[in-house]
Amino acid sequence: MDKKTQWLMDGLFMASTLFVSFFLNLALQEVYHSRTLIPMIFVLGVFLVSWKTQGYFWGIASSMISVLLVNYTFTYPYWAFDLISPECIFSAVVMLIVSVMTGALTTKLKVQEKIRAEIERERMRANLLRAVSHDLRTPLTSIYGSTSTILENYDALTKEQKLKLTREVQEDAQWLIRMVENLLSVTRIDDGKVQISKIPTVLEELIDAVILKFHKHYPDQTVTVRIPDDFISIPMDAMLIEQVLLNILENAVNHAVGMTELVLTVADRDSRAWFSVRDNGCGIPADRMKLLFTGYLDRADHPADGTRHNMGIGLSVCSAIVKAHGSEIYARNLPDGGVEFSFSLEKEETNEQQ
Amino acid sequence: MSNNKFKILVIEDESNIRSFVQTMLETNGYQVLTAVTCRQGMMMFSSHIPDMVILDLGLPDRDGLEFIRMARGLSSVPILVLSARALEEDKVAALDLGANDYVTKPFGTAELMARVRAGLRIRMMAGELKDGLTGEFQLDDLTIDYSRRVVTVADREVKLTQTEFNILSLLSQHKGKVLTYSTIIRSIWGSQDDGSVKKLQVNMANIRKKLGTVPGDNRYIINELGVGYRMLDE
Repeated sequence: MDKKTQWLMDGLFMASTLFVSFFLNLALQEVYHSRTLIPMIFVLGVFLVSWKTQGYFWGIASSMISVLLVNYTFTYPYWAFDLISPECIFSAVVMLIVSVMTGALTTKLKVQEKIRAEIERERMRANLLRAVSHDLRTPLTSIYGSTSTILENYDALTKEQKLKLTREVQEDAQWLIRMVENLLSVTRIDDGKVQISKIPTVLEELIDAVILKFHKHYPDQTVTVRIPDDFISIPMDAMLIEQVLLNILENAVNHAVGMTELVLTVADRDSRAWFSVRDNGCGIPADRMKLLFTGYLDRADHPADGTRHNMGIGLSVCSAIVKAHGSEIYARNLPDGGVEFSFSLEKEETNEQQ
Repeated sequence: MSNNKFKILVIEDESNIRSFVQTMLETNGYQVLTAVTCRQGMMMFSSHIPDMVILDLGLPDRDGLEFIRMARGLSSVPILVLSARALEEDKVAALDLGANDYVTKPFGTAELMARVRAGLRIRMMAGELKDGLTGEFQLDDLTIDYSRRVVTVADREVKLTQTEFNILSLLSQHKGKVLTYSTIIRSIWGSQDDGSVKKLQVNMANIRKKLGTVPGDNRYIINELGVGYRMLDE
């Protein structure tokens, strides 16, 4: 929301709050013939305005208007101003104090909220770095070792041995590439105020690109694709969402033991596109489910067993990317076995089908 | 022998990348010239007149885009851009300036060689293109008959609208080359406004549907997300 509309909304909120309290007071006065409630209701109104609006302006304005309204309508002389009576000045001061203090409190709350979000982001980044620096060491050691072996023993090694070592270097390098890509995505999201740039992307083209890339890495794994026939355009950072889907698919290949089917579905519901990836593999144990998107799923569970495909990092990146798109990613075990990952993105309104 | 080898100029400041690209190209029978800076590349370009240029965009002395601008002033030599990690704006800028294609780092050698072959084919075809739209285009089981304006897939005729046919034939004439959204829009509709990209995307969706392509098994046209489209050529 930009500044101007915020300003208008706040003004509207103040006007309606004062309007309601004013007529409530009129009604109460008619019914109970007592005026003890009047200041309380106005104080409540001022409190609401200062709490809900940005800055101090509307709070102070509402307190001033309230004082005038009370003075004009509910105190002797009725339906006339009497601005110099000590009662009026005193009530004005009280109202002012209420509005300023409420304003100060809410501002403080908002600042704290911001700090908390920052700490959360910082924590995520630190987790990620810790996990990654640990993970980078393994492939780097292997690359360094393999290439040194080849260089130092070139004549002693058989052709097969050399090929094997080189192929391993290639595999490790490919893994490093994907890891670095994940890291870059996160720094792009975290980059302070730099927002992700959402560009309208055609769903079909996105899915096509994802499947194409996926088959480059995993030529043997088929993916069943179910997407709507209609033309669907979704504002998104295509590069990042592509990566989310790739990470989830890759995750299934690496971790869903016993998987025979991998299905990528996109459904069009309530002006949102619902992405889901499901497999029929071994599922995820409940205790790991909670940590799935935190980046904390590290080697504590499976130390030195040779698998370095750390799902924690990929999935925490997914979660961060989807969050940056104003949505949330979910994982759940399916009743018949297997896991489903899902998230939704808002569609672009398209009327002109031409 | 060595005289009829294609000459390829590689402008890249990272020595390791330069060295492996050079080795790769030489093993595949090309003659390779190398330059480390943009300035050196420009000098090599005008003195050796290569058949193709492989250009890194991030050069130490000047922006690689300047090289494209200079080279396009002189010739239509195919330019293949190497761009670091997926920055769409850079790619689009390079393509709009006249680069023929791009490869994103890190790239595999197979991918690079395919793009080089495609680029050199464009060079060989360049003469034929000016003769207007006659003849046929063939890709897998897709055939485009330019003069009769008929498109067939596996010998079955595909009914396309005027616009759809124009887009398809434009892409086919530049097969192997990425055409950016704005390039396509300019040559199909002439002018460009806010809704143009959406209009193009809707047309492309219809073309895909009519050609019967399925996501993930796109045999004719590659979607370059956020950049444009490319007709495959092998």
